[in-house]
Amino acid sequence: MAARVVPVDRNTRPSAMPILVGMGITLKNLVVTVLGQIGLGKKAAATVSFPEEKRATSRRYRGVHILTQREDGSPKCVACYMCATVCPAECIFIEAGERPEKDIEKYPTRFEIDLLRCVYCGFCVDACPEEAIIMSRENDLVGTTRAELIIDRDRLMDRAKVGEYGDGYRPIDHDARRPVRIAALERLRTEHGIVPGMPKRD
Amino acid sequence: MASPAAAAVPPALLDKPTVRALQEALGDRLLAADEFRGDLALTVAPAAWVQAATLLRDHPQLDYKLFLDLCAVDWLDARDERYEVVLHVYSVGGKHHVRLKTALPESGAKLPTLVHVYRGANWFEREAWDLYGIVFDGHPNLRRLLTHEDFVGHPMRKDYPTAQRHVLKAPTPWLLDVPAGSENVVVNIGPSHPAMHGTFRVQALMDGETITRAEAEIGYMHRNFEKMAEERTYWQIIPYTDRLNYCSSFMNGHGWALAVEKLLGIQAPPRAEAIRVILSEFSRLMDHIVCITTNVVDLGAITPFFVMFRGRELIYELLESCCGARLTVSYVRIGGLANDVPEDFVPRCRALVKTLRAMIEQGHGLITRNPIFIRRFKDVGVMPKDEALSWGWVGPCLRGSGVAYDIRKDHPYSGYEQYDFDVPVGSVGDCYDRYLVRLEEMRQCLRIVEQALDKLPAGPVIVSDKRVALPPKTEVYSTIEALMNHFKLIYEGILAPPGEVYGYTEGANGELGYYIVSNGAKYPWRVKVRPPCYNVYQAYPSMIEGGLLADAVAIIGGLNVIAGELDR
Amino acid sequence: MPKCTIDGKEIEVAPGTTVIQAALQMGKEVPHFCWHPDLPVDGNCRMCLVEVEKAPKLQIACNTVITDGMVVHTESEKAKQAHRTTLEFLLVNHPIDCPVCDQAGECYLQDQYMEHGLHDGKTVPEQKVKKRKVVDLGPIMLDAERCVLCSRCLRFEANVTGTNSFEFVNRGDHTQISTYEGRPIAHNYAGNLADVCPVGALLSHDFRFKMRVWFLEATESVCSGCSTGCNIFIDHRDGEVQRLRPRRNVEVNKSWMCDIGRLEYKEIALESRLDAARGRAGGDWQPLALDAALDLLAERLREAGAASAFLATPQATNEDLFAFRALAAQLGGKLDFRVGNPQDKVQVRVDDVLLRADRNPNTQGCIDLGLGQAGVDRILADCASGAVKALLLQGPELLLEPGAAEALARVPFVAVMATHERPELALAHLVLPATVWAEGDGTFTNYQRRVQRIRRAVPAPGAAAPRWEMAARVLRRLGGSFEATSTREAFALLTRAVADYAGLDYRVLAAGGRVLAPGQAGATQEARA
Repeated sequence: MAARVVPVDRNTRPSAMPILVGMGITLKNLVVTVLGQIGLGKKAAATVSFPEEKRATSRRYRGVHILTQREDGSPKCVACYMCATVCPAECIFIEAGERPEKDIEKYPTRFEIDLLRCVYCGFCVDACPEEAIIMSRENDLVGTTRAELIIDRDRLMDRAKVGEYGDGYRPIDHDARRPVRIAALERLRTEHGIVPGMPKRD
Repeated sequence: MASPAAAAVPPALLDKPTVRALQEALGDRLLAADEFRGDLALTVAPAAWVQAATLLRDHPQLDYKLFLDLCAVDWLDARDERYEVVLHVYSVGGKHHVRLKTALPESGAKLPTLVHVYRGANWFEREAWDLYGIVFDGHPNLRRLLTHEDFVGHPMRKDYPTAQRHVLKAPTPWLLDVPAGSENVVVNIGPSHPAMHGTFRVQALMDGETITRAEAEIGYMHRNFEKMAEERTYWQIIPYTDRLNYCSSFMNGHGWALAVEKLLGIQAPPRAEAIRVILSEFSRLMDHIVCITTNVVDLGAITPFFVMFRGRELIYELLESCCGARLTVSYVRIGGLANDVPEDFVPRCRALVKTLRAMIEQGHGLITRNPIFIRRFKDVGVMPKDEALSWGWVGPCLRGSGVAYDIRKDHPYSGYEQYDFDVPVGSVGDCYDRYLVRLEEMRQCLRIVEQALDKLPAGPVIVSDKRVALPPKTEVYSTIEALMNHFKLIYEGILAPPGEVYGYTEGANGELGYYIVSNGAKYPWRVKVRPPCYNVYQAYPSMIEGGLLADAVAIIGGLNVIAGELDR
Repeated sequence: MPKCTIDGKEIEVAPGTTVIQAALQMGKEVPHFCWHPDLPVDGNCRMCLVEVEKAPKLQIACNTVITDGMVVHTESEKAKQAHRTTLEFLLVNHPIDCPVCDQAGECYLQDQYMEHGLHDGKTVPEQKVKKRKVVDLGPIMLDAERCVLCSRCLRFEANVTGTNSFEFVNRGDHTQISTYEGRPIAHNYAGNLADVCPVGALLSHDFRFKMRVWFLEATESVCSGCSTGCNIFIDHRDGEVQRLRPRRNVEVNKSWMCDIGRLEYKEIALESRLDAARGRAGGDWQPLALDAALDLLAERLREAGAASAFLATPQATNEDLFAFRALAAQLGGKLDFRVGNPQDKVQVRVDDVLLRADRNPNTQGCIDLGLGQAGVDRILADCASGAVKALLLQGPELLLEPGAAEALARVPFVAVMATHERPELALAHLVLPATVWAEGDGTFTNYQRRVQRIRRAVPAPGAAAPRWEMAARVLRRLGGSFEATSTREAFALLTRAVADYAGLDYRVLAAGGRVLAPGQAGATQEARA
């Protein structure tokens, strides 16, 4: 188990072979790609004809944000400011107001993200204790003025485009380090039918 | 603030040859010595600064010939003497890093220059002048480096407001002093030239096709990462590190996480380390693809670029499947990784390794023995071994010059000691050697990845220390303890113990170091990035003097200078 | 004096010191909930358990008096286990409210969990006891689920205000705090309840949901509400003050302040703040640049000469008053400050706690600087008779006095330094915008003759300038000198001119202020008009 030091091979006998080899490689690539484009063989060109084709993204893609909703359509967000605190780009602006329900108490009267400052790092999603903010797979953001790209609470909730792009980055539960706790939660669920605190997924 | 050496140098440290040698030579001008997290740090009086550095370099037993970093720290009112100048050097033979420090008062922050001891100190001292206002007596060219000519003040000082701006009204047309009546032509190479691979500018005085004198100007991409780091928690700095060497962004985060973990004295779990190695090696491969293919594009060959960039695309897709972003991944966390890799990770990586192996061989076939490139690369841009060490060259460039220093081999981290791999080394130190080293390293990256995949352990991907890692979401939603833990980690962050460390990893360009000074608060007090291509590029103007302009283009491509890392 | 050893370090303490107080003197904080330095000891939370050698069981540090030779370990394994267990019990029924609870950032449970707990939680919300939430008690909001039953609020009500608003109701783990019939808190010290509560059970209604506390920067200052001069913190962010809270000073206000003072911060950012100078020559108001306004003032004062009058305001800092006095002396005009006779109220208490009848922070400073000279009635008489050609008011108090309007109508030039817009300013010919206490450095002298520093927290609006600076600029235009470019230097000038203030400077005053030595004849004129 070690690293060895190996001198590089500077062998450079003059010859025309390398040029022919190189041309051969280029020709082979050309033939394979052309055949692939017309359907004979699997390798096609790397070009993605945007916007007709879209580049495939994974389920974890960090695109433009979504504010999730409760069943009654109000935001799940309780304006706890965790996302605004953790954001390295300082691009989330929140103001809190009072909700009449005593077990919920708080909601955001103002929730804006400056999408131009945002670096799409996903820390806001990691920081949210209510799964109120997640990210979509939307990555082709367009605006004609700066003001247009400061997205407010209502536009964040009304993300019809989510259907088009799909859900992106959201909390993934890995509890490998707390086996005792998981067993207890499992027991609560299977034996008592209690699923503590789990927010309803939308 | 001077205290007798006997009291400030713990007897246990006198066993170390470095400490003993310095104490014998300097007596009570060696003010203190301490070891924290394995880093040896020596404080000397300013009057003994040059003598101490020369001794470190020349003493046969010590042999600290590799210059790494020189920076300043502003302690403001926390210490009697406001500034501290810190030198990091390395001994290749002794496999040992050492830190040399000296304290300077606020009025009269002056120190003799080290340019005659280490050539690489030149730009570092200019940067310390630019950002802190520390004067280096005897420096040949003490002018601003990273900020522009119309800038007022020294931005890294603690009392300089972060949001202050100075607008540059007009750029400097002349970098060189051209004698009056000269018939030589002055050419600006860059900053907007595609051959410069970034925003660098070199002004060359030409005699026909030969460059007689050259002067470099950098700082076009300077965003003062280090000042931002002083106002962000350790976790919030991670996206900033992505934007250093953006061609292999995962590696910067890997290095940062390791440096902070060194400061905290914790270790990420084995699975996290193995995944970090896999993704780092893929990132190294990505970076070498950029270097090689853009280098030959400048010389007129586009095909390797098309062939090998496909490999980059596939690696980007792999990274995106793990963390949601291609370029600015922010995947590491202090203590491990943000989340585990997806289920298809291992088979996907294996398929990728096969594809990349074929791609590398295609690139090799197109370039390596082609007589055109051999003529353009061989014996062009020769950097002899001793000069390279004095400039502070590291990574593939240093190995091209014949010095077999690779941190993965000499100071293995993240489990590198488990893997078999070759470290390619050149002999002449020309462009051809540097190209061959990078090409071979790409093959070795894949070897390491395969072994890491074979050995990939199961287990958690983040340390289970509640002071460092966010609790799992199911618990945050359901227990008050986890919720409080989560809150404290978000608004207060990780509280590192007071102290300083120098964390270093083998980035794609060589030793990427983070010198972190903590005073126990939630923000680090000082973060200095040791950018590998900064030292490399510093040698460039003198490398191209006396050569042809065409050779200058061939050389710059092989140095792999990335503006994000160079200027920070 | 008994000597003891805490965590390996020896310390000598005054007799009667408890372990927790001795540890604090050493700079070590033993975790606690119910103990408070300004409230009687209760010992109910059991969080401050420490290991005392030779004692069979762990002892509570808050109620164990140091004896000579005592050896204490606050972080031994047994003590740490006790801290963890106590936290676990306190959290058993604690609701998962952190996202909606304002206490986050200054919550004892959060802080002590990270330092002394770090255990896994075992109870989930469905199992927790449900109690009343969002109970509006007027200035205070009560959330009984978050309460850890430390009884600090009970002891505050019993011992400090004597109002006994709270009591524990029910038993066992259904115990809650409550007011009688849920009645609101009806005294002037309700804000302190939110301060003493270590968790989010009692929270300020005024501050509710306004701002997360970790965004706030705290600046040390002194309340300007009355002559008591309670020490405070101004909590602000990005140039806006969000709240005031008390700063502990055992000699002045302990850990308390009254609600009137607490809400003083609202005046700083009112719409009615003056941000520009204006003048009127007969007809309508014209806006003026501050320099032009000061030029005009200097001109009219020079013309008036000794036929000028000056009224200082006890709202001003000592530096403001000193510059004003110098200006009056330069011209030989009549000088006083006693509109409404504040000097009679400086020592008069309104209740048994803190508030005093004089609602000015610096009447004592006026007295000390000898500003009570000519007499307010005399000055008004001179105004009415036309003997005053120029009148400079450092504050608008005189404009509000009944009967002043007629007298002032006979004065050809009335200039006033004011902070807020009000209709009475129409009686003046020149209005100068002044900064308020939170916008500049300076000193106030309270009823104890304690000189205390205030510090600048937020920038002033528009052209508003400190009173001392405006007076100094006018003084220089009149050929006088005022060799100070900062409040620090102005205070230095003051200490050289006023005997009782000799030897003071900002550094000396930094910790808790300094009480002046008993006055000499010249410095403490309390002669009445």
